[in-house]
Amino acid sequence: MNKQLLSFTVNGEKVDVAVRPNATLLEVLREDLALTGVKEGCSEGVCGSCTVLMDGAPIRSCITPALEASGSSILTIEGLAEGGRLHPLQQAFIDKGAVQCGFCTPGMILAAKALLDSNPNPSADDVKTALAGNFCRCTGYRKIIQAVRTAAGSD
Amino acid sequence: MPEDDYSVVGKSVPRVDARAKVTGEALFTADIALPRMLVGKILRSPYPHARILNIDTSRAEALHGVHAVVTGKDTAGEKWGVFRYTRDQQLLCVDKVRYVGDEVAAVAAVDEDTAIEALSLIQVEYEELPAVFDCRSAIAEGAPVIHDDRPRNLNVSVKIDVGDVESAFKDAHIIREDTFVAEEDSYFMTEPYAVVADYHSDGSIEVWMPNASPHTKAKALSNALRLPLSKVNVRKITIGGAFGGRSDVFPAEFITCLLSIRSSRPVKLVYTREENSIATRMGHAMTTTIKTGVDREGRVVARDIVSYLDGGAYSSTGPIATSVPFLCHEQTYKMENVRFHGYRVYTNKPVRGMIRIHGRSFACGIDTQLDMIAEELGIDPVTIRLRNARRPGETTPTGSYVASCGLVECIEETAEKSDLLGKLKDRKPNVGIGMGINSVQTGFPLGIRGGSQAFIKFHEDGGATVISGVVDNGQGNDNMLVQIAAEVLGLPMADIRLISADTEVTPTDAGSYSMISTFGGGNAVKRAAEDARSQLFEVASDMLEADPQDLVARGGKIYVKGAPSAGVDIGKVVRKALIMGRPIMGRGAFAPDVDQRREWITNPRGQLSQAFSFGATVAEVEVDPETGLVTAQRVTCAQDCGFALNPVIVEGQFEGGVAMGGQGGMLGEEHRWHEGHVLNPSMMEYKIPTIKDMPEIDPIIVETIDPVGPYGAKEAGMSVAMSAAQAYCNAVGNALGIYFNHYPLTPARIVDAVANKKPGIRTAWDIEPARIIETAKK
Repeated sequence: MNKQLLSFTVNGEKVDVAVRPNATLLEVLREDLALTGVKEGCSEGVCGSCTVLMDGAPIRSCITPALEASGSSILTIEGLAEGGRLHPLQQAFIDKGAVQCGFCTPGMILAAKALLDSNPNPSADDVKTALAGNFCRCTGYRKIIQAVRTAAGSD
Repeated sequence: MPEDDYSVVGKSVPRVDARAKVTGEALFTADIALPRMLVGKILRSPYPHARILNIDTSRAEALHGVHAVVTGKDTAGEKWGVFRYTRDQQLLCVDKVRYVGDEVAAVAAVDEDTAIEALSLIQVEYEELPAVFDCRSAIAEGAPVIHDDRPRNLNVSVKIDVGDVESAFKDAHIIREDTFVAEEDSYFMTEPYAVVADYHSDGSIEVWMPNASPHTKAKALSNALRLPLSKVNVRKITIGGAFGGRSDVFPAEFITCLLSIRSSRPVKLVYTREENSIATRMGHAMTTTIKTGVDREGRVVARDIVSYLDGGAYSSTGPIATSVPFLCHEQTYKMENVRFHGYRVYTNKPVRGMIRIHGRSFACGIDTQLDMIAEELGIDPVTIRLRNARRPGETTPTGSYVASCGLVECIEETAEKSDLLGKLKDRKPNVGIGMGINSVQTGFPLGIRGGSQAFIKFHEDGGATVISGVVDNGQGNDNMLVQIAAEVLGLPMADIRLISADTEVTPTDAGSYSMISTFGGGNAVKRAAEDARSQLFEVASDMLEADPQDLVARGGKIYVKGAPSAGVDIGKVVRKALIMGRPIMGRGAFAPDVDQRREWITNPRGQLSQAFSFGATVAEVEVDPETGLVTAQRVTCAQDCGFALNPVIVEGQFEGGVAMGGQGGMLGEEHRWHEGHVLNPSMMEYKIPTIKDMPEIDPIIVETIDPVGPYGAKEAGMSVAMSAAQAYCNAVGNALGIYFNHYPLTPARIVDAVANKKPGIRTAWDIEPARIIETAKK
């Protein structure tokens, strides 16, 4: 299969990658760009581990064709901390004990970032709705809700 | 030392591994990329039971980009089993396949597409055989035999008989016999299984995979690959959850190693989500018949239990899996006369292992029946539990002394905080409340000799590196080790590095199953740190002109008690020790004091585990009787974890336990089947709880300061998961006035039970009891 050129912005940097037309965004991010913070949990768009932000909106990179990202700006977990300074959500996940095995954490934090960007002061129910598509098997979610609300300053 | 004198343990400090996990820096097995790495893929049996007549791999081998193809012929029929007497799983099938998913062949190729194409080119000729898919069919006369040396497909038979059950029943005031069934459940850890193997020209091999014991994996691989143990190096890697599902040895790691050896290149094999469900392990389906006799006050005077466990195609942890549900129960409840017959039966289904809420039908059956007995006697669920609950200083029926036990506190505190008795009196329609109680072992011997060992080395700036074999599956073991070392050494946690779970570098450890990591590995690190500290004190005593016994290590300094300002930096002491030719090297070891003669089948008596945790959970639910949907409103859970080394981490374990054991485990999680095929192996179909499903959770930490656990700590990960399942079960039953005996409580089952509700104190469904299996030869 002939490859096509994908030009987009990833974590603030312009990137050109030759991709198979049937490659998923997850494959390109993980395999071509070595952004392994993007996790593959279910491969069918259910568990949310592969969540990245496309132009600020959370998407499932495992079921998104890579070429659909053409011209967009993608944020992965690797691009969230700025100059070594953790994003408030990252800090809150650490401080509140919201991280256990950590496999769902990147997707969870990015989904939460999209929420806070549009709703800086979410209720617990808002957090639940925003994160309903991100599975965690370790925490029972309680400390994740606390962490998101702490990061928002609404705790 | 009083607790409030601790500077690091007992505090909710952030986990040492959390930063790497929130930045995406933490590498899991599937994230590993090595130069020239190939992709591995496994060809699996499409049949539940078939003879392999021929395998032709020639076309696959000829495909451009394929570097290795392996089948059972390449393995000398190597078999895996946790015990010598349960070695029944060929690492690549040679003669037969025994479940849909059994490993038949494997390839390593330059990319995934090529590997998949190569699999399609492998021609396997099968002769289909009749198959069995449930315990009763499997043990029937004339049933197809899955393993030739196991007539009637009986894999494991456990018999425990304590006291005089028959005569005790004669004195009972009330006797009930009820039967409870639970279907298969699964782990669904968020990380799918993966293996990377890299064989080197010096004859050594490096292996990465999610595991619950790197040393156990290395031993099994060493045997199967016929490589010296010192040359099988299982490496540390971040692990995305286990819940019992990473404890065993799987063919995949052997196959990946074989592919790397054959191709002389690194190979990565990543399971699909479906493979993770089918070809690692899952929970047993189980039927349990419980006959209980009580006196007028509701004290259990006799209990007779028979369980059938559907074990799937191979033994896995069979003898343990068959015994543990009973053992949890005998730790929880006092009984002088009790009998248990547990049968694990082979079927043509995926292999079953240990799971965090192991034995749902057993645990929920015991507590459901206890509520039925309480209703018959007109006493409340709290009173009947308190009358039967284990107390410290007692010995279990099979002979384990219980040194520390906070079960009564757990029952009382959850009942009080949830106002259980008040809410039982003030009933609202379709709203229910229920309690479950349980106990879990804190480590039992499992084939790794010598417990856990640890080393501590010092750097010239006063920082230290802890070296321990303990593995972290996500629960926080790495942090636990560092937190303990920091407390003993008087160093900030940031000054302590950890090297762990690498079989080349770190000493052996039992593994993170049977809830032993804190008790075993934590104690080993504590002793190593104490050893290092006493060496530091020896050197510092000259520098400070004080007796070593009067010294304290805290905040990076060593000083005479009460005079912190006149202290000396630990770094300075370390450098002085080097100059004196007495470098600081701490070492420690810990092996739990258990009865080594105890054996699961031949001798189930003696000290099983040196400590036991205890827990109680109260669940409050609202049920829609028309749809069968359950809304969990509030869960109050308590566990005696001995001592909470890190309260936030302990709470996280409780909360995760409520999600997995109660919300998921009791309300929806089960596998569905069609002739040995799992119909719901994916995350789309198998419903684990989402954030929106979860109730309010009120975690209560109960501390009894175990005499042997590090700072009194026991385990924190499992007891709530068990008691939450029981509590949810009783709460749903309470809401509807129905005693449920088929789990999980899916909407369909609830609607059926409501529609067919019968009067009286009885279970929802009449289920054929599990009976003692007579194995007399014909």
